[in-house]
Amino acid sequence: MKLAARLSLAVLLVAFLLAPFLVHPGLVFIAGFAMIQIVFALSWNLLFSYAGLVSFGHAAFFGIGAYVSAVALRYGWHINFLLIPPISAVLGAAAAFLVAIVVLRRANGIQFSVLTLALSQLVVVLIGYSEYLGHDEGISAIPRPVINLGIATLDLNNPLASYYFVIVIGLIAIALIWLVVHGPIGRTMQAVRIDPERAAFVGIDVWRLRVVAFTLSGGFAALAGSLLAPWAQIVHPDYVNWLASAQPLFATLLGGAGFFWGPVVGVLGLAWLNYAMRTFVGLSEIMIGASLLVVVLLAPQGILGALRDAVRRRRGKVAGEHR
Amino acid sequence: MILDAQNIEMSYGQLKVLHGVSLQVEEGQTFAIIGPNGAGKTTLFKVLTGERMASAGTVSFRGQDVSKLPAFKRARLGFGRTFQVARIFTELDLLTNVVIPIEARIRASGKSPGHWWSWEPSREVRAEAEDILERLGFPRQRWEDEAQYLSHGDRKRLEFCVALATRPGILMLDEPTAGMSPSDRREMTRFLARFKAETGITIVMTEHDMDLIFELADRLMVLNYGEVIAVGEPAAVRDDPMVREVYLGKGGQHA
Repeated sequence: MKLAARLSLAVLLVAFLLAPFLVHPGLVFIAGFAMIQIVFALSWNLLFSYAGLVSFGHAAFFGIGAYVSAVALRYGWHINFLLIPPISAVLGAAAAFLVAIVVLRRANGIQFSVLTLALSQLVVVLIGYSEYLGHDEGISAIPRPVINLGIATLDLNNPLASYYFVIVIGLIAIALIWLVVHGPIGRTMQAVRIDPERAAFVGIDVWRLRVVAFTLSGGFAALAGSLLAPWAQIVHPDYVNWLASAQPLFATLLGGAGFFWGPVVGVLGLAWLNYAMRTFVGLSEIMIGASLLVVVLLAPQGILGALRDAVRRRRGKVAGEHR
Repeated sequence: MILDAQNIEMSYGQLKVLHGVSLQVEEGQTFAIIGPNGAGKTTLFKVLTGERMASAGTVSFRGQDVSKLPAFKRARLGFGRTFQVARIFTELDLLTNVVIPIEARIRASGKSPGHWWSWEPSREVRAEAEDILERLGFPRQRWEDEAQYLSHGDRKRLEFCVALATRPGILMLDEPTAGMSPSDRREMTRFLARFKAETGITIVMTEHDMDLIFELADRLMVLNYGEVIAVGEPAAVRDDPMVREVYLGKGGQHA
């Protein structure tokens, strides 16, 4: 099972890396967009499957990254664009930290989730008031940057360069998230999710751990957002609203909550659904919704959960025949 | 004196559960708290461990007033505890269950338990966890098992490992034999006796099983309706007429 999982991951990685040479530009665009969504969904799942917190407003942090990077490009800030993802991550983390120390003082269950939703909708309203951020129309026709790498320059106006920029930064983010959740911080987060009281009685500061988890998660969400502007060349309040906040939740539930790679499977599943239904104008939302419903009803543990159960059943059967 | 509680009062709304309970526990002692259901044992336990804050009164640990400290800070000072129904990190394997409190202890002491990016626990942490699991009778081939598949007795034993990994100065055991079969109870009693002899650790426990109490406890306290009605040597407390009345009713025939 481990081997099969590793092989699938390797195939997926190769598919992402070779996409521009294998499929038409429309699909390459979807692949780059999926990579951004994957990082976003993983940042959400770090909070959900590891720290046990449900954020309904995570798109606000995604939006911080998206708007920072859009503004930097639109208004021609004199910053090497290579610094924008890390700067976005720091700003997103700082915002998440402020939210966490206020909100987590009082709540960590459903009240926490609803408060994150309210705060993120507030961000949408604030964007609507801002001339600088383009009101409700967002910022469009964002120019792609030319990045000075010291020894060479990387011109993201080249489609190939911009694709690999998104993929490489995305892979770095995925690696960082993987390391965080599999290291000592991740272990402590799991302890708090499984039993916060037990965790407290071994000396874990539960509140502080949750603040750390929320801060990290906000940082990674903003990092994902910062890739949107150079890739899609448009940033819009629709990327910040509650529907956008629901995307990582859908992806995680579809792919499998409790699995690190669940959101990846979910994002790709959703992307495929969206693509497959694109010609059914007006019907596509209904069909996507219906498909999600079917998956949730048939496989409450998501796609990876269903796969795991199938493998276990098969193994059980084989073991039974030996008796 | 390792633990000193003075005049603990506790109310849930209008309901007063503890009426000025005091207790002193000496280093190395095993101190048992008994009483009928609803006597306030569990509430007293929660107040001592920091799960609930007392309405009035003080709790001191090694001379330091800990009355206002939350549970995790008391745990860092040296309170280890187990629960009536064993609470472990069910979805994680046995080794990780023990690694987590060790890492928490190291972090609380201001040191780093290992690089944030290392997906394996550090060698020292792992060695300590393995040592604890081995000492409490979990063989190597079970270390990777998920804790949720353990039997009831094994869960209790793993919870001991988790509590010990914090290197507690005092172990707070909330009904260590709750829900156990008679044979499991005897095994737990033997285990606790051996454990106490080996480590000399201070233990405070609530318990229903009198055999275990008379085997292990140095001091026994009886609670009834939130008040201490007797405290002292177990044998002396057993013969106290008031205790007999509470447990057996007036003119009890079943002694």
